[in-house]
Amino acid sequence: MSFSIKQGEFVVIFGESGSGKSTLLRLLKRELTPHGKKEGVIYYKNRRLDELDDDTSAREIGFVMQQPEVQIVTDKVWHELAFGLENLGEPTDVIRRRVGEIANFFGIHHWFHKHTMELSGGQKQLLNLASVLVMQPEVLLLDEPTSQLDPIAAEEFIDILHKLNRDLGLTIVLVEHDLEKVFPIADRVLLLESGNIILEAKPEEIGGKLKRLNDTHNMLQALPTVVRIFNELSDQPISPLTVKEGKRFITEHFNDHIVRLETSETSANDETPILEAKNLWFRYERNRPDILRGVNVSVNKGEIVTILGGNGSGKTTLLKVLSGQRRAYRGNVVLKGKKLTKYKQSALYKQLIALLPQDVQTIFLKSTVEEDYAEIGKVMNGTKEALEQSIHKIANLLSIEHLLEKHPYDLSGGEQQIVALGKLLLLEPEIIFLDEPTKGVDAYSKLKLRDLFMDLKAQGKTMVVVTHDVEFAALISDRCGLFFDGEIVSTGKPKEFFANNNFYTTIANRISRHQYEGCVTAEDVIDICKLNGVKKHEQNIH
Amino acid sequence: MRGFATFHPFVLFLYYAMVLIITMLMLHPVILVLSLFGSLLFFLTIAPLRQFLLDLGFYFLMFLLVAITNPLFVHKGETILFFLNDDPVTLEAIIYGFVIATMLVAVIFWSKSFSEILTTDKFLYVFGKVVPKSALVLSMAFQFIPLFKRQIKKVHEAQKTLGLYTSNSITDRILGGIRVFNSILTWSLESSIHRADAMKARGYGLPKRSNFSLYKFEKRDLGIIGALFVMFFVIIFAYIKQYFAFNYYPAISDFTDTKQYFFYFLFVFMLTILPFMMEMKENLLWTFLKRKISASPIRNKKNVS
Repeated sequence: MSFSIKQGEFVVIFGESGSGKSTLLRLLKRELTPHGKKEGVIYYKNRRLDELDDDTSAREIGFVMQQPEVQIVTDKVWHELAFGLENLGEPTDVIRRRVGEIANFFGIHHWFHKHTMELSGGQKQLLNLASVLVMQPEVLLLDEPTSQLDPIAAEEFIDILHKLNRDLGLTIVLVEHDLEKVFPIADRVLLLESGNIILEAKPEEIGGKLKRLNDTHNMLQALPTVVRIFNELSDQPISPLTVKEGKRFITEHFNDHIVRLETSETSANDETPILEAKNLWFRYERNRPDILRGVNVSVNKGEIVTILGGNGSGKTTLLKVLSGQRRAYRGNVVLKGKKLTKYKQSALYKQLIALLPQDVQTIFLKSTVEEDYAEIGKVMNGTKEALEQSIHKIANLLSIEHLLEKHPYDLSGGEQQIVALGKLLLLEPEIIFLDEPTKGVDAYSKLKLRDLFMDLKAQGKTMVVVTHDVEFAALISDRCGLFFDGEIVSTGKPKEFFANNNFYTTIANRISRHQYEGCVTAEDVIDICKLNGVKKHEQNIH
Repeated sequence: MRGFATFHPFVLFLYYAMVLIITMLMLHPVILVLSLFGSLLFFLTIAPLRQFLLDLGFYFLMFLLVAITNPLFVHKGETILFFLNDDPVTLEAIIYGFVIATMLVAVIFWSKSFSEILTTDKFLYVFGKVVPKSALVLSMAFQFIPLFKRQIKKVHEAQKTLGLYTSNSITDRILGGIRVFNSILTWSLESSIHRADAMKARGYGLPKRSNFSLYKFEKRDLGIIGALFVMFFVIIFAYIKQYFAFNYYPAISDFTDTKQYFFYFLFVFMLTILPFMMEMKENLLWTFLKRKISASPIRNKKNVS
């Protein structure tokens, strides 16, 4: 492949997992060049990359990786910021000035003296970015830097990148799978597929061009909501990119005779609650504040309930209490008509409850997926044949047969999530609790997850999902709840829930709410626009 | 902790070295009392009152325990007070017990303020100056150990809900523990590979590495080092000249020497009270400054205009 990036450009690279995005990006940073056979030449400022001196190479090309934690080298924030400059042998007063400057730019001075362990994920990633920028690079390479962050921290991070590009003219190459926030600020977008650049265009042209290239391409689903809606409704080459532009597009082009989609929502759900929490109160220690302050929730059999809420609001704690890992000091969790505390642990976590933690890597113990799955046999006490059979049944259901021989850590974020879920399913639980199942999962894998959830639901499994991901919640839930200030403040079917929210709602809803009611997913918006039809004067013009 | 702690880490290190040497070397009751007095006063200024009182209570008990243990085992000395199980209990042994206990408690309180004041950063910095490579290694260790501990906890919790520990047999539990440990090792190997990449990307391994620190060596640091050395040498001089000699066995010395060499004890007093005085100076300075700030003529003028 051949391509060039101009000084001061903001380039976004996307593609399916395994398309070679990360490899390409690592090739651009000499120190991180992967092992293997390389042909062709990379030029940086008209000089061969491999002929640069070490100092320039380390200094002028910065690289930020995916996991916030593993990039942090030292124990104190100030030392971390100085680390790169120490390596370059800068004298103390230069380091002092540069570190001060960068800490100010990033607003790090408030936590300058802290231990790096005490920082939140978003702060850690910001620190990683700052400690690369302190070396004053000319080019910044980022490999999915926001995939491990919650949406708010991710947005802040992208905003800073925008600021760096706009105000300082820094050249940025960003590999990213969540395109929603980066499309409006990118200058150019590259789409990679099995090691080739198959598309290269301005962000507003990507949608149209990709559709013309292949109108069933997987990556069409990964485009921002606005672009996806536009793609389905129009054949124009220039698509809107922001909510503002999307709103205008709908107002200008579509009638509003029909305001509401007629939904044939099947409330065939079993209305008997399988799990009920009554007035739960919880705190970790006697002197610490309450995290749960009178939570009431009931989950029916075969239902997918999503609990949304901000960062650090206590959602994870709620899952721990509901799944019996922690015990509430007031109130009860009732499972199938019996108090949770009355169950024996061995009975509870076998064929009844399973919990998928936020960090799915903690699920895996062995060096291949298959061996790891076999671990469950020790718990289930079945025969070897029965175990093998159930492993293959699960692998088939999740279509992960090709992953069974791999090391769990070598899988992509989406694959890890699905494989971990598979391990839980071997325990044949009736209720599955999932903590942030879409963290680090790309858009296409999210759709696979959704299909999987629907399959499981059809099998009668009950699921309780805790997430930040508003878009995903709108796709999967039977009911949504907002967790705030230690309790669940509102619940409802996703359509009512999001339609009633002004700020805490999906992008599709934000685009369409001024004209239509209760459209929360891109599909809803597309359907209702098609139903209403194009405005008359529009047809005359074209 | 504004006054003494703001000195350069080297100064702090030097100070504690001197004070501890003097406290442990010279078994003179006056010096030990001075040292204990100084350490307590200083700890009082930097620790919360509640903690100070709790510690004081606890170490007072320890003090008594040490003090009464000595006469039970040591029977030297000429003033026999009474017999316990046919063993003589002497006045000298009792007094020596109290002296040793004083020394112990003084050392403990110095160490307590030491750990409050010489935080890990400062400690690392001083170490790094002596052995440059060690600074980074230690700093990385302080970064990684808490991370490692947290990961163990996370895996443990995750495996619990997977039924790993649900069997009641002990062997199963131990085997489960081993499996968790194995997976943590893989995890730490994995993350150390990434960390090595991140370090390389930021130029680690280039030949001319420097060591950065937040600490500046100021004029007042030089001043205090000078003063410390003067005090220390005077005290050591007096020690070598036997001015601080004090006998416990067979009979206890009197304090005529102490009166005669009063001048030298003054130096010990100055040395041990120094951190406390620094804190006090700073406190006074701030009260004074605050008054000045609130009565600032500029602001008054502004109000008028």
